[in-house]
Amino acid sequence: MYTAVVLLPLLGAIAAGLFAPWLKDRGSQIVSCGAVGLSALLSLPIFYQVALHGQSRTIELFTWIQSGAFEFVWAVKFDTLSAVMVLVVSVVSSMIHVYSVGYMAHDKSIPRFMAYLNLFTFFMLALVTADNFGQLFFGWEGVGLASYLLIGFWYDRPSANAAAIKAFLVNRIGDFGFALGIMGVFLVFGSVQFDTVFAAVPGKANDMMNFLGYQVPAITTLCLLLFVGAMGKSAQLGLHTWLPDAMEGPTPVSALIHAATMVTAGVFMVARLSPMFEYAPAALAVVTVVGASTALFAASVGLVQNDIKRVIAYSTCSQLGYMFFAAGVSAYGVAIFHLMTHAFFKALLFLVSGSVIHALSGEQDMRKMGGLRRTIPITYALMWIGSLALAGIPFFAGYWSKDAILDAAWGAHSGVGTYAFWLGIGAALMTAFYSWRLIFMTFHGDTRADHHVMEHAHESPNVMLYPLYVLAAGAVLAGMIGHHFFVGGGQEQFWGESIKVLPQHDALEAGHHAPFWVQWLPVAVAIIGIGIAYGLYIRNPELPRQLAARFKPLYFFLLNKWYFDELYDLLFVNPAHRLGLSLWKKGDGDIIDGYGPDGIAATTVRLARRASLLQTGYIYHYAFAMLIGVVVLATAAWYLLGRAG
Amino acid sequence: MAKDILVLGPAWPEVFLACAAMALLMLGVFRGESSARLVSWLSVGALAATALLLSGTTPERGLTFGGMFVIDSFAVFMKMLVLLGSALAIVMSLDFNEREKIARFEYPVLFLFATLGMMMMVSASDLISLYLGLELQSLSLYVVAAFRRDSIRSTEAGLKYFVLGALSSGLLLYGASLIYGFAGTTSFAGIARIMVDSAGDMPLGVVFGVVFIAAALAFKVSAAPFHMWTPDVYEGAPTPVTAFFSVAPKIAAVSLLVRVLVEPFGPLVGAWQQIVVALAVVSMLIGGFAAIYQTNIKRLMAYSSIGHIGYALVGLAAGDETGVRGVLVYMSIYLFMNVAAFGAILCMRQQGRMVERIDDLSGLAKNQPMVAAALAISMFSMAGIPPLAGFFGKLYVFLAAISAGLYALAVIGVLTSVVAAYYYLRIVKLMYFDDPVDVFDQPIGRPLGLVLAGTSLFTLLFFVYPAPLIFAAGLAAAALYAG
Amino acid sequence: MIIQALAFYLFSTVLIAAAVMVISARNPVHSVLFLILAFFNAAGLFVLMGAEFLAMILVVVYVGAVAVLFLFVVMMLDIDFSALRQGFLRYAPIGGLVGIVLLVELMWMATVWAVAPGASEVGVARMPAAAQIPNTQALGLVLYTRYVYVFQAAGLVLLVAMIGAIVLTLRQREGVRRQDIARQISRPRERSVELVKMPPRAGV
Repeated sequence: MYTAVVLLPLLGAIAAGLFAPWLKDRGSQIVSCGAVGLSALLSLPIFYQVALHGQSRTIELFTWIQSGAFEFVWAVKFDTLSAVMVLVVSVVSSMIHVYSVGYMAHDKSIPRFMAYLNLFTFFMLALVTADNFGQLFFGWEGVGLASYLLIGFWYDRPSANAAAIKAFLVNRIGDFGFALGIMGVFLVFGSVQFDTVFAAVPGKANDMMNFLGYQVPAITTLCLLLFVGAMGKSAQLGLHTWLPDAMEGPTPVSALIHAATMVTAGVFMVARLSPMFEYAPAALAVVTVVGASTALFAASVGLVQNDIKRVIAYSTCSQLGYMFFAAGVSAYGVAIFHLMTHAFFKALLFLVSGSVIHALSGEQDMRKMGGLRRTIPITYALMWIGSLALAGIPFFAGYWSKDAILDAAWGAHSGVGTYAFWLGIGAALMTAFYSWRLIFMTFHGDTRADHHVMEHAHESPNVMLYPLYVLAAGAVLAGMIGHHFFVGGGQEQFWGESIKVLPQHDALEAGHHAPFWVQWLPVAVAIIGIGIAYGLYIRNPELPRQLAARFKPLYFFLLNKWYFDELYDLLFVNPAHRLGLSLWKKGDGDIIDGYGPDGIAATTVRLARRASLLQTGYIYHYAFAMLIGVVVLATAAWYLLGRAG
Repeated sequence: MAKDILVLGPAWPEVFLACAAMALLMLGVFRGESSARLVSWLSVGALAATALLLSGTTPERGLTFGGMFVIDSFAVFMKMLVLLGSALAIVMSLDFNEREKIARFEYPVLFLFATLGMMMMVSASDLISLYLGLELQSLSLYVVAAFRRDSIRSTEAGLKYFVLGALSSGLLLYGASLIYGFAGTTSFAGIARIMVDSAGDMPLGVVFGVVFIAAALAFKVSAAPFHMWTPDVYEGAPTPVTAFFSVAPKIAAVSLLVRVLVEPFGPLVGAWQQIVVALAVVSMLIGGFAAIYQTNIKRLMAYSSIGHIGYALVGLAAGDETGVRGVLVYMSIYLFMNVAAFGAILCMRQQGRMVERIDDLSGLAKNQPMVAAALAISMFSMAGIPPLAGFFGKLYVFLAAISAGLYALAVIGVLTSVVAAYYYLRIVKLMYFDDPVDVFDQPIGRPLGLVLAGTSLFTLLFFVYPAPLIFAAGLAAAALYAG
Repeated sequence: MIIQALAFYLFSTVLIAAAVMVISARNPVHSVLFLILAFFNAAGLFVLMGAEFLAMILVVVYVGAVAVLFLFVVMMLDIDFSALRQGFLRYAPIGGLVGIVLLVELMWMATVWAVAPGASEVGVARMPAAAQIPNTQALGLVLYTRYVYVFQAAGLVLLVAMIGAIVLTLRQREGVRRQDIARQISRPRERSVELVKMPPRAGV
């Protein structure tokens, strides 16, 4: 059962991918949805056994590589952390599979799409059930690959290809740090097995290691390197630029990979490595600051975006920031809690926006929407549910987790904790604002779409709506149900061994005793945010434009995402481009090609012609060649013997 | 002494195979020409039964027939590969022979005798049994090479192979006589003892003996510069026979070479290491460069196999247990990817006629995607592109060479594999990016299709679970060095 | 002893000279005849070593059967050997060079030849002294016991050679009458002989 959960999607991917000509569209949809659905069903009893009854287990499948002390085992590790992740991933993924059947109904390569989705699910499950750094890295790269394939799924669109390449490259930067971190772990601990490493961490807490010629604290350095990987994958400030562009992919992909699952892999990794991070307070501080800054930054950019998916993408980025600073103040359980609730309501939001886009025949610009409230009422209602959960309105899912995060940040009683708290409050205000800005621009007021589009606007088919109901239920209920286990009284028993928090890092406990105003401030700012949005977009629709004109520099600063892309272009891309151009023209073209490949290729061709000429076809030539060979070898052996003796 | 002569235990598989081959010969004779298909399937069954018997033999090292026959993990490993290669070759021949009107019952029987010869080679622990095993194998191969006796090219192939093979046998016997003259014995164990005793002053004659024997065996594995027969014979022989040539006899000859160099001449490692290095370098160069200009796919495969033998010899050149393990892994993987390639070549048939030009493959991916995919997998694997099986083969031999300090050899190996990648990838490019020419005949036939699918899948998915093969090869190599 | 040595050198010299003539004679028939001469001298060498059985076998099998068969084949096939030798002069220099190098190496090898100190005890000990049993009997003693494996293997090699010869040459020709002794013998009289009553002086 445990192995099947992970392997079923792989089988589905193989079946849907390789046997596409026989399965046809319908068959591949059934196979892939069936595979993921089955693994979602199986994940329920597993969650029950492992998480609720504390029966953790690791099943070693087989040893993949063994080379000296380096041993790399394929295994499925199920403890509470991975059981939660498996549950979230497989359930959300199966919902999105079903949704895709409707959403992609008119696409011409359905089997490929389904196979990619399955493949992604497999890699994601392999990632979360890893019991060593090797498999973690395997899953890590695997989801990156699947993400690349899916972003560029419509490979005939240049923008999709560019986005796919950008996602891949930015992730490479993170992965470089991640890979360095894994190598460092092997260097320091002599193993990549989680259990071995974690057991050895306390003994090495104060060790130093040599990194780039400097003596640095070993654990902190390793944690920072690994965190660079997490930053890339989870689109944290600095390495976030790929995520908004990744919205070029089909909307189910955005929902699955770029909201619910893959981007949270970084958070998962930090939680999984909590026994290491706990001994690296400096690294934790960095995590907190980066997370909090991302939360505020992304929310601020989200305020002014006009593409419906980009708004949600920045919101994702911002929520990931919340998760990271929760982890940074040692409230890993809270981070995973928010990860779970977020998976439900963000997948819901994406899929709902997918419904909107579907209804408007592919239109994504909110300035060309409006007034859809009556045309697609179910979608409208679902959007409300998702937004309420996102904004953290009681008692929707997001309320429980976001509140717990902010409490924990407050409870950390440290400089970075307070920094995170106030930035988090600011982000919460903006979150509420842009969520309702989205709702108001899309569903209220007069329509700004042309009437052709509006004539065809229609509610989505049931196959797309049912998954939304499931996710909506999650967005409403997940927080209430999970609160006790994830962050409330049952949390210590629930998490068991899978998460380690040092006794002195008691931010979570302290957060429970935060003053009244701390507990209710997030809700208050959320309501304020909604109010502002209402004031600006319903009561006084002209005001936003006036504000934008008035604070033009600020508006453009936000609209252009703090000029991150331009900055990177200026700092890295353009110089690299110029360097590359000159290396290509002068270095490569003139010097290397001239003497290298072209020269070598020409020589190769000449040699090849010679070598074929040796083959005359005359038997006595062959015999003669053999004799010459014998004589040469004998002479050489004689000479060597003479020299040796 | 007399008692242990007739201990058949270790040799049961061989005894069975010999009896089965003769029984099938009789069956064929009495049933007449129409029994070819029946005898073929029975031969495959006999090979399977032999493999079964083989798997039942004890893994400990055992000698019988007065020390002429040895069985150990190494022998079992190699014999399994040989049996597999032969069985696959027979299965691949079925439809081909019937179409080409050369389906005769002697064909599988000769394959069985050749296989028997190979098993005797693998188990040889005496210069005499070595020679007889080699001759039994070679003689059968000469005949099957010329099996399409109405084709000039086929008979030419058989004749060339025969004449040059006789020459190499002469070299082998001359070398063996030199060794016998020095050591006074032909048994490997005895020679090894003498070599250890007189390690200090080895006369030139012994070194020459080793050179001659190594040269003769190099001919059998078609290592350059003793490779000249290979392209002509590969081109001329019927395609399934070529497929057979390129796997089973190679594996048997490689294992013979390994055993001869490691067991009796182990103490002379300093002398033969240089010979093997030279053979490996020249083979890799020839295999890399000469293939580029070929237009016939079978000739191309001939050069490719020369190159592969060069890579396998890199492992042997390391001269230690890791190296031998690398050789074993390489040969096992080589078996699968080569059979896959030849399976695809056997599909090259237009309007009922076999075609062999590389250009005929143009646009194959559009007409027969599965065959094209199988051939592409095989080509990528041969080029050593990760994560396909061929990459691991190369990885293990190069690692062994590096750990033995043969850096130059490893570098040459990597460079020539880059050159070789050119012609492998050219085939892929032809299949996938060029416009289709004539369509190949379909269907390709069930037995061939199964072989093709099985070997391609192995090549493709080897990386998922390589441990058993690596482990078995490690055991086999250890057995060789323990004995 | 002297006579034995003289005989050895005589046989050896003639053997090598005959072998050279086999490959250098212009007429192929002469080549085969020189081959027969070489066989005889080799048999002589065997006799000198006390291996009279091998000597007889060599004469009977190689001279009596193989060489005679060669002779038939060479006489029946009209091969223009001069055409085959055309490249000879062109390759003579380099061929000669390689040959000479090899020859020098082998000669040098022969001069520094040595037998391993332990060799005598490993090998010779198993051979019965010639005086005790005749070598035919000695061969018989080991052929089916100690060497049964290689003996059987050799048998298989010959079997394969036979199969090969049949496979490559035997053709089922249509329209060829073959002798079928059983049918010939069992042919009833009525079907082969017809008695015809002929009236006298009537003509046919």
